[in-house]
Amino acid sequence: MNRQALSDVKVLEFSDFISGPYCGKLLSNMGAQVIKVEKPGLGDKARSWGPFPQNLPHPEKSGLFLFLNTNKSGITLNLETAAGLKIFKELLQWADVLIEDHSVKEMAELGLSYAEVKKIKPSLVMTSITPFGQTGPFKNYKGNDLISAHAGTEGFGNPDEGVKDPATLPPLKVPNHAADFMAGLTATACTLGALLGHKKTGRGQHIDLSKQEAVASITRQQLAYYSVMEETPSREFGRKKFGGFLYPCKDGYVVIWIGPHYHLVVKMMGEPDWSKEEMFANPLLRNNYIVELNQLITVWTMEHTTEEINALARTHGVPCSLVRSVKDLVSDEQLAFRDFWREIDHPVAGKIKYPGAPFKLSVTPAAIERPAPLLGEHNEMVFCNILNYSREQLVRMRQGGII
Amino acid sequence: MQELPLEGIRVLDFCQMWAGPHATEWLSVMGAEVIKVETSLRIDYMRTVGAPPGLAGTGPNVGSAFASLNWGKKSISLNMTKPKAQALAKKLIKICDVVSENFGGGVLERWGLSYEEMKRIKPDIIYYAGSGYGRSGPHKERPAYAEIVDAFTGATFSNGYPGGEPNVIGVSPWTDGAQAIHGAVSILTALYHRMNTGEGQYIDAAMIEGNANFLGEMVMGYIINGNIGERIGNRDAIMAPHGCYPCKMTGDEDEWIALAVANQKEWESLCRLMGNPDWTKQEEFNDELKRWDNQEALDKYLTGWTRQYGAYELTAILQKAGIAATPSLSTKQFTHDKHIKTRGFFKKPNHPVLGNKVLAGLPIKFSDYAEGNYHTPPLLGEHNEYVFGELLGLSKEEIRQLTEEKVLE
Repeated sequence: MNRQALSDVKVLEFSDFISGPYCGKLLSNMGAQVIKVEKPGLGDKARSWGPFPQNLPHPEKSGLFLFLNTNKSGITLNLETAAGLKIFKELLQWADVLIEDHSVKEMAELGLSYAEVKKIKPSLVMTSITPFGQTGPFKNYKGNDLISAHAGTEGFGNPDEGVKDPATLPPLKVPNHAADFMAGLTATACTLGALLGHKKTGRGQHIDLSKQEAVASITRQQLAYYSVMEETPSREFGRKKFGGFLYPCKDGYVVIWIGPHYHLVVKMMGEPDWSKEEMFANPLLRNNYIVELNQLITVWTMEHTTEEINALARTHGVPCSLVRSVKDLVSDEQLAFRDFWREIDHPVAGKIKYPGAPFKLSVTPAAIERPAPLLGEHNEMVFCNILNYSREQLVRMRQGGII
Repeated sequence: MQELPLEGIRVLDFCQMWAGPHATEWLSVMGAEVIKVETSLRIDYMRTVGAPPGLAGTGPNVGSAFASLNWGKKSISLNMTKPKAQALAKKLIKICDVVSENFGGGVLERWGLSYEEMKRIKPDIIYYAGSGYGRSGPHKERPAYAEIVDAFTGATFSNGYPGGEPNVIGVSPWTDGAQAIHGAVSILTALYHRMNTGEGQYIDAAMIEGNANFLGEMVMGYIINGNIGERIGNRDAIMAPHGCYPCKMTGDEDEWIALAVANQKEWESLCRLMGNPDWTKQEEFNDELKRWDNQEALDKYLTGWTRQYGAYELTAILQKAGIAATPSLSTKQFTHDKHIKTRGFFKKPNHPVLGNKVLAGLPIKFSDYAEGNYHTPPLLGEHNEYVFGELLGLSKEEIRQLTEEKVLE
């Protein structure tokens, strides 16, 4: 058996779609035993999301669900039944950690506010993920990935370079449910902090994770600019300074980072005359004339292919990358060399390649081995083996719509 | 309750720029003692970024970017190219639990501080190495920034308005943020394992691998269907309307609202709020699928309505009717937002240069711990006396001598 860092941690995951499940996934990567609670019938929303092979929807074949729920055990439970709620409370006794993403109001109505949960299991670490947090005037506001992105100023900050017509082009969400992932990741860091404290003192803890704040935290540099410089921030094209710009080429785009690498960039372009102009003589001046500088660089990039520029950048040590699609990522030599991908065989979806762990631990490496659970796959294991219900009771639970 | 979960943990932190310092900032705010190793000969670039008006270029303590990434840490100015500095670093490693760095390549090794050597000094040390591409493989030496990694992984490709060109993701540290918090998670996991077993370990964290997880949905789309995705901006795969719409200006900035209508019931609520205008009764908007197909036209109509309200006012109206909405906040609007103020998100640094201009705290709210270590972000070399005097037991005279010899510089 692999040694796993969190193999003595038991997690009850009572959350849907991305944020809570990503938190549970990271913990289960590290060996935590995660029981995922889904509602009977459709289960987790991610099961209905896809991507599906050949675009044929199937609850056991959603790529997003399969990815987010590796290593977990899955049960179905209807908390709107009295018996379902009672069983849930029994699972709280079993768990060290509860991850949940329900509204403050819903949890209170279920009798599962932290005050109540603490009475059931004083040492529990309860991680609550909500759009705007557990307190404050907007605590009951609904949200999703779009809402978190815009409430946390990420929309305002995207695209980074600003837009040429801010009156018609709205603030822009970052793609691929990035805010949901960020909230789940942030919740994981908080949960581990509480678990370390728990290990020392046995103390329980409630974590109030606001998705709005998880996103805004990443914009801390821009928030500091406003606070310290007191300039009204702008969405006008040209607001971005230093480096990290997109340049069109003959056959696509590259991103190059100028900043402290200006002289390397200039050398890469064959030291054009304009590069010696007074207006580009130092970093402060270059920031003032950044739009002009980028126009001049674009003249050069337009004369080259992305591959030519990438090769030159590698030779000259310039930070640079082609703007690639996910196709190039999946076949990337660096990730292959590092043995990043994991192939897992799922009883319905079959053998599929999955992203591996986001970091490598030398002594307790992540194990991403078990496929995501089928809907209710571990009902018998959990209800009969862990909670000691009989098979007859299991049948009645099913008949009564409890599981 | 005053204590914090990581009290008693000490970190020797060589990290610079964004992702590395923010990873250890998580540890610092949770109560660890993080000692940042720097030198005035090559300061952390972030110390110069975001200076108050008129103070740009006036020294290493003006960067608000640095301050917001280094809450509660201690700073020593140690010129690691000097053998005496390397010897001092070894003494510090002996009393630390974690060593962290995000240099390009084997800088610590050149200073005689390979992981093997660290283990010899402190057998249970946890060594965190953060990088763009990882510490092995053909790209391991390549310099990386958030924007470069985003281009490499496919994130930039998928960022943009529908039908438009790809765009650099803003805010630019987005991927740095993911790397930082994945980093904090990896270190916390290693600390947990050490508590159980007494074993340390080596952590190799690559931005491209964290990023490939954040892009999991798109990655699976390619693996399963060969689909490389498309730029959909504020749109959703199923919901419509789902976007960001202009509002009436009620202050000195543009106002926008983001809203998401999840189902027919919410759509009907929205129509009621709008007073059931004739356009809502058109056939092309009468079910979920048709609205999605015709969302461009739908958005145009909706804009005529959203423009009549301020963003906060309209958010309150929509949320009351059970529809998810928020003002799309600028950094200024966010800073003055009443909800955020109630939550205590911003902290005052009490900083000699930045004063009490507020900086973002971390999104950590524990019920049974203190609010976090938000001590003033360190001035360069501010804690030489504490670290070398109190922790290593050097005399004032010895510290003076080290300063003279430019070991401390």
